[in-house]
Amino acid sequence: MKRTIIMLLGLLAMVAFAGEKETITVKGSDTMVILAQRWAEKYMEAHPDVTIQVTGGGSGVGLSALINGATDIANSSRPIKGSEREKLKQRFNSLGVEVKTAKDGLSVYLNDACPVRELSHAQLKGSYTGQITNWKALGGPDAKIITYGRENSSGTYVYFRDFVLGGQDFAASVQTLPGTAAVVNAVAKDKLGIGYGGAAYAKGIRMAAVKKDNNSKAYEPNAQTVKDDTYPITRYLYMYLRSRPTGAMKAYIDWILSSEGQDLVTKVGYFPIK
Amino acid sequence: MKRTITAALLLLLCAGFALAQEESKGTADEKIAEVKGAVDGINEQMAAMQSTLDALAKIKFTGYLQEQFQVADSDAAPSFAGGNFASGVHSRFLLRRGRMKLTYDNVLTQYVLQIDVAQTGLAIKDAYITVKEPWMKAFSLTTGVFDRPFGFEISYSSSSREAPERTRMYQTLFPGERDMGAKIEYATESGPLNFLNFKGGLFNGTRENIVENDNFKDFIGRLGATLPFSEQNFEIDGGISVYSGQVNVGKGNRIYKQSGKAYSIDSTTTLTLGKYFDRTYMGADVQLYYDLPIIGGMSLRGEVITGEQPGSNNANWQTANTFYNAAGNMYRRNFMGYYINYVQNVGDKNQFVLKYDEFDPNTDIASTDALNNGSNFTPGDIKFTTLGLGWIYHWDGNVKFTLYYDMVSNEKVPSTVTAASLKPYAVDLKDNVMTLRVQYKF
Repeated sequence: MKRTIIMLLGLLAMVAFAGEKETITVKGSDTMVILAQRWAEKYMEAHPDVTIQVTGGGSGVGLSALINGATDIANSSRPIKGSEREKLKQRFNSLGVEVKTAKDGLSVYLNDACPVRELSHAQLKGSYTGQITNWKALGGPDAKIITYGRENSSGTYVYFRDFVLGGQDFAASVQTLPGTAAVVNAVAKDKLGIGYGGAAYAKGIRMAAVKKDNNSKAYEPNAQTVKDDTYPITRYLYMYLRSRPTGAMKAYIDWILSSEGQDLVTKVGYFPIK
Repeated sequence: MKRTITAALLLLLCAGFALAQEESKGTADEKIAEVKGAVDGINEQMAAMQSTLDALAKIKFTGYLQEQFQVADSDAAPSFAGGNFASGVHSRFLLRRGRMKLTYDNVLTQYVLQIDVAQTGLAIKDAYITVKEPWMKAFSLTTGVFDRPFGFEISYSSSSREAPERTRMYQTLFPGERDMGAKIEYATESGPLNFLNFKGGLFNGTRENIVENDNFKDFIGRLGATLPFSEQNFEIDGGISVYSGQVNVGKGNRIYKQSGKAYSIDSTTTLTLGKYFDRTYMGADVQLYYDLPIIGGMSLRGEVITGEQPGSNNANWQTANTFYNAAGNMYRRNFMGYYINYVQNVGDKNQFVLKYDEFDPNTDIASTDALNNGSNFTPGDIKFTTLGLGWIYHWDGNVKFTLYYDMVSNEKVPSTVTAASLKPYAVDLKDNVMTLRVQYKF
């Protein structure tokens, strides 16, 4: 009888684990969603036993899902907040694991017809906080500046607010759009438009050169200026995990940080971390 | 003639084609203008909806419900695990907490109202306003009813806490956890002092739902530090706290204070009328977090509090109103308590808890002193320890089940004790409690 029970249990375990496909869920940053999809597709080609499900929604949404246990990996285009880390500590007794996966030059988008070529930190801050409302103050035509931005669940929104606006709030006149592609699209069609977002999305528009202050040199975001941080709005793109990765998750993270994974970073339009 | 007719027909055809092209162009332009108008209309509607959504996004409605089934060792068991069991009862279903919290968060200002709906009725738990300064965004002022800024266990939400209840020490010293007052808080995520935090303020000292009865305000504060070692997946947090308050004796009650191994009258009725007596606590707390490879995160938390507490002869806590409005005598005791709490996550779903706490309400006297004539030793002087073991299963992001067993031990008085109130404490009370709880949080 005892032997039968042991055999049955063994059989059950074999059925339960035989051919089981490992599934990794990834959620968060819209800035990173294309990159994350490319990584997942490429990785699954070589590892058919692993399924990677990627969705966007914004960095805040991804980190909330990580805290609630609804995703394995949260993509984020901003560092995790202290309050989010506190929640991870409360639920999982863990500080979370931060993985820097790529670098991005947070780009300032301008319409092709816009004569302005470079902008300072202060000019960007003034435009987005509502202190500067006319292109003339930025060296452009005598016309109203139309500012486009992201929703507050976006990591790009938070990063721009914290590092460019110095923590000040966006002006109410900033038009909120769902996703960086929508911001690019709006600026491409609007001669008076200005937007911000990841460098990889900059298609059909021009990227402004950005300088720290009036006495500094302006830099455009490119491989060199982002790598050596001379482009003033350089940021990391992160993956956050609840605890130290093991098994399939560890293999996937290691692959992302390998030369193969980092090659995809360049192909998508971002910049490798090494 | 034939050539002329052909030429005329060709001319007509060309003219007709040009006219058709003109008409078609005109129609396309009209269509574009029509679509553009429709898009502009949608954009206007979207902008209006967006402003409404932005306003709604500031409102957060959260809450949790805790229901439990409990079994005690004996009927009418005295318990800190959700209150004493009723006479003749050793098992019960209990709606322990039913919280609903409304927050309006306008970034630099915040409105919070939290109520508790349970079998005991409806009660206000939090009602406060927070205003943050806009320059450094590091300092904030909070006024209203909110958690007293002391130690760690008060501010650790009941929905997150692994053990079903706070320790006997906290329930005795800070019943209800909240008070009415105003506090200043310092916390920042950047700058060289970002590892430090402070919260402190003045409070009525009467608990959350009792009106103030004197002009003395209690100071409560905690200075804390957070030291993360992210590369090692390790963090150590901690703080020191102080409670400096006073209790007004409005009815001229007698004041007893420990003197040697017995209580003695500290002053006469005439002298105590309207006088203030100390309620003073000092505390220190430490929390360690470490992510164990493969298994999951763990935390080890500990806290110790010592000080002087005004109480009645049978209990080491009474509301300030007891002394102000009633004629009961006040007993001033030096106390000490501590707890150690270990939590181990196993994967994403399971947590194991081990908690040990001790609370000695009167450090100047031992249970053997119950036999001394004139010691006035009462159940309010008996030391208790509690060892708790628990398992938590997180069903999903909202629901968790907790199975927890409290093993409570009391200091034993000599079996020859004559006082009827002390006789039950000659042995260990049958007051262990098993709790099976389900919580829904949103």
